[in-house]
Amino acid sequence: MVRLKSRYLLCEVCVSDRRNLSLLDDRAIYTATKAAVARAHGDYGAALSSLGFSVKYLNAHTGIVFLRCRKSHYRLIWSALPFITSLENRGQRVPCFLNCLHVGGTIRTCQKFLVRYNTQQLHRMLPLCQSEAERSEIRKSVLSCTLKKEADDEEEDE
Amino acid sequence: MRRADIQDEPATYERLVYKNTSVYHYMRISLVLENESTRLSAAQLKQLIVSGLRDLYGEVGGAFPFDLLKFDESTLTGVLRVYNSGLVKLWSALTLLGFYQNELCFFRVTQVSPFLLTLSGNSRELELD
Repeated sequence: MVRLKSRYLLCEVCVSDRRNLSLLDDRAIYTATKAAVARAHGDYGAALSSLGFSVKYLNAHTGIVFLRCRKSHYRLIWSALPFITSLENRGQRVPCFLNCLHVGGTIRTCQKFLVRYNTQQLHRMLPLCQSEAERSEIRKSVLSCTLKKEADDEEEDE
Repeated sequence: MRRADIQDEPATYERLVYKNTSVYHYMRISLVLENESTRLSAAQLKQLIVSGLRDLYGEVGGAFPFDLLKFDESTLTGVLRVYNSGLVKLWSALTLLGFYQNELCFFRVTQVSPFLLTLSGNSRELELD
């Protein structure tokens, strides 16, 4: 049976000001990515990548976003991600860049990677902290987006 | 008459087969404009083709290297050279190019070949005397 395969790009939205992060929504990322692909790869790229392209998951607290695209041309979108310089939302322009962390075939593999990545980040950041309060703060912010509380993650999906 | 003590050696020969030696493809094109008295320079033609590539394939496509080897300004015919991987992109961009400075135009591709020697003649312009 022919199966339609897709690729999920796990990206992290990096902004200079953490408060602006909460203003993000999936439509802003969708339009920004389409515009970047149209600029980088022209009419051909814009039309080809718009088949089966969607923003599957967006976490406004941590800036993690899953982009879904077809397996045959995920590289077009991947190569256009560095050209995104800002996201527009309700008239406000937020300068940012999208950092692609992982490419996976299913959402589950991406989430498994995210758990591992977050534990690595935790191990990296905790020794650098000065005070205990900062440590507990970091632990809380990282734990809030892991797969442990699966129900919470699924609720945050749109 | 063959002598019995001379043995025939099998004829030895060596055959070299190249699948595709040429890295480039060469195209002979001619530009046909609505207003026939307009003249273009070689640089303007190259700019036109680059803009067509950029419309269709974006910044990445517009940056693909190709060369205009010969250009005849009076008849608006020329020879382009492009790498093998970019032939389809260049040809499709030439096909879809429709305007030059708000004037209708189209490109006619007369010959395409991986070898430049083939472009030196074609049967359409052959004169048999």
